[in-house]
Amino acid sequence: MTPGGFFGRALLVDVEGREAEGAVLELSERVLRSYLGGVGLGTWLMHRLAPPGVDPLAPQAPLAFVFSSLVGTPLTTSAKFAVVAKSPLTGLLTDALASSQFAIAGKLTGHDAIVIRGRADELSVLLIDGEGVRLEPAPELAGLSAAEAETAAKERFGRTWRTAAIGPAGERQVRYATISHDGRHAGRGGLGAVLGAKNIKAVLVRSATKVSVADQKGVLAAARDLRQRSFGPATAKYRELGTLANLLAFNAVSTLPTRNFTAATFDGAPRLAAEELHELRGVARNSCASCSIGCEHIYSRKGGGQQRMEYENVFALGPLCGVSDPDDVFAASARCDELGLDTISAGGTIAWAMECVERGLIDEPWLRFGDGAALLRAIDAIGAREPGLGELLAQGSRRAAAVVGQGSIDFAPQVKGLELPGYEPRSLQAMALGLAVNARGADHNRSGAYEADLSGELDRLDGGAAHVAAAIGTEDRAAVMDSMILCKFLRGVFDDPFTEWARLLALVTGWNLDAAELRDAARRIVRAKRAFNLREGATAADDTLPARMLETPLELGSGRSAALDARRLRSMVAGYYSARGLDEEGRVRTADLEDLLLDA
Amino acid sequence: MGRPKAWLEWHGSTLLYRAAALLARTVDGPVVVVAAPGQELPPLPAGVSVAEDPVEGLGPMQGLAVGLAAVADRAETAFVCSTDMPFLHPAFVRRVLRGLAPGVDVALPVARGFRQPLAAGYRTSLAGLVTRLLAEGDLRPGMLYKHCEVVQLSDDDLLADTQLARHDPELESVVNVNSPDDYAAARDRLPPEVLVECFGALARNGGHRPRGVRAATLGAAAAEAGLTLDRHVVAALNGDQVTRDGALPLVAGDTVAFLSADAGG
Repeated sequence: MTPGGFFGRALLVDVEGREAEGAVLELSERVLRSYLGGVGLGTWLMHRLAPPGVDPLAPQAPLAFVFSSLVGTPLTTSAKFAVVAKSPLTGLLTDALASSQFAIAGKLTGHDAIVIRGRADELSVLLIDGEGVRLEPAPELAGLSAAEAETAAKERFGRTWRTAAIGPAGERQVRYATISHDGRHAGRGGLGAVLGAKNIKAVLVRSATKVSVADQKGVLAAARDLRQRSFGPATAKYRELGTLANLLAFNAVSTLPTRNFTAATFDGAPRLAAEELHELRGVARNSCASCSIGCEHIYSRKGGGQQRMEYENVFALGPLCGVSDPDDVFAASARCDELGLDTISAGGTIAWAMECVERGLIDEPWLRFGDGAALLRAIDAIGAREPGLGELLAQGSRRAAAVVGQGSIDFAPQVKGLELPGYEPRSLQAMALGLAVNARGADHNRSGAYEADLSGELDRLDGGAAHVAAAIGTEDRAAVMDSMILCKFLRGVFDDPFTEWARLLALVTGWNLDAAELRDAARRIVRAKRAFNLREGATAADDTLPARMLETPLELGSGRSAALDARRLRSMVAGYYSARGLDEEGRVRTADLEDLLLDA
Repeated sequence: MGRPKAWLEWHGSTLLYRAAALLARTVDGPVVVVAAPGQELPPLPAGVSVAEDPVEGLGPMQGLAVGLAAVADRAETAFVCSTDMPFLHPAFVRRVLRGLAPGVDVALPVARGFRQPLAAGYRTSLAGLVTRLLAEGDLRPGMLYKHCEVVQLSDDDLLADTQLARHDPELESVVNVNSPDDYAAARDRLPPEVLVECFGALARNGGHRPRGVRAATLGAAAAEAGLTLDRHVVAALNGDQVTRDGALPLVAGDTVAFLSADAGG
């Protein structure tokens, strides 16, 4: 019997020529219980469906939209979906979450996951509902932003469809293109390029069925309770100012990456601060479907228009590129959204290029730190894959550094090819470990170890055993939240997370879960990601940070020096391997492979 | 004064807690309190250890020998101070320790007209020499200085340090509390002026802009900002270490940033 909240099947869609064909892959209860859904289930699907060594942009590379048992329930923040594939940016596993109605409608097509393979002959849209799958040519959508494509698709096919779409960057297979729904982006790792490589501009889904939960009354009561708790102090930051509230705080504690990680404080930070912009420019606050937090803060743009701003896009397109004019940053962020570019990778790659120009390694003298117009010009060049600089930077900083050479890889702000988020590793050393070992690459959403660094409970400048434990703890919590799925902005409301999450899952699925089983699931998911990467050629050498982080200490505002050398990082990585039960080379031990159910 | 000096209260801390915690936030190495035999001490900051003086009545030289020996395996140099210095400033400690250049055994301030052996820097390797001198009956610090390389630091030498000149221009770091009148005068002094900033959801009504408040401890600064240090609120001192320790001593010139404990994306 299928557990509550699940359908027990994934839809495999093969696209070829002008046709799409659907087939069902049965998902056993054992697999669902072991991987929970979302990112976990997506990882398992990639093991099963991605041919070893496949080119992420090849037709046979699978791209999975994955839901979870909680999607569609009234539990706050549960309307989320994971997109999982082999990344064209890293060559390893990538997964990204986005939110809202696509998650609910996608699941209510009657599937726990939708996996797309193949390649259409021409730019098309893929429609999935209770009647099956079909491919419709859509050349008229070429060059449209994801938001425009979504609107056009609604006009053509009707308002009952929910759409996930790519922008022009995805069509052109920029390696860090996004997939978007309703203004929210599955942003990291180039999933938009994978969809673009299949010649699919948009995936449309429509609800066709219902799903039952094991304890309807219990779920409703839990939803009321969780909603109430979501109004408390643990989510105040997100409600009142959004993630942009980080910017000024990070500047105050010397962890705001600036000018391609050459500094950790930025003189222009106050101009970009949420505290200032909220008063001067704040116009609205939005929520995803089924969310009671409402973290999206919308600001007015000079000359008209509005723009949603988050910490990561402001950090990456502001301080990281030395740009302090909020209108320049708003414009750059809006342009990334229109093109469908991951703002972190775009900002990181451009900041690297700016430093290359400064060092005389790239001959584009207009591309200077602090120049907002140059930033916009570079973004446009990337989105268009203009020959020369645009084509170079469309590959991401690691590939671009391989082309430029001359030691530029040492300051390319990436791990495993994924550009670093807005957390300075030298002054956040638990986070440094999290960034180094994470399967997705440099990532703040799959490893939130900055929480420990900023907790006051360990010395953030002196990474050691406590930092290892903290990094593993946040990675485990993220693995569960991203799989069951709940938004991480809710994490602070849980006093005993694994126990409380087990209770929620039990109400929905009917499983007799406890915290220990959920911790096992977290470890399994993390190991499964690593096992996929190892299969695709990753080694322990990939679990590191850019040379700059390990060789150049950072002066803090206090006068202390934040230094993270290779020896210390290696020691923490070794501690991580040991605590995770990996061998000395970071490999999943043979005895643990069986637990991953890769043959189930 | 009615109580042992270590227990005397000054703006929310005992004098001993303040001295120990101030050193802990200033130096990289260990902080050790030397206690007389059987002496009852007030609570100490986390990480501060106690070395018991096995002999009573031999004065500060005995305490110096015990203290230096207690840290000799973990530090080459040490700042040594008495417990009754409520105005001690980290900039003074750092300046004195910088006086311990290679070949120098003692960095001895001569501040406000007096030598300050209990606000001075010592090489920890002197522990054995001090013990030997004590055994020979030399109980005064001055006798030690005849046997080692001493650099005296005058007021001018000390105040050449811009941070010290800015935050402690009268060198009140060396002021002791030796009498009830001294203690009363110290208590009458306002707490140090520090800058407070609040960020994110804690910043209401322009709270992210720095403002000066009087506070001798982090907890007092939080109260001045209308906050309580709890699971949702942490503080960063001078942009450096993040803490929830409300008893952390503050000094003139400190900047305290209060952040949401869930800082991050």
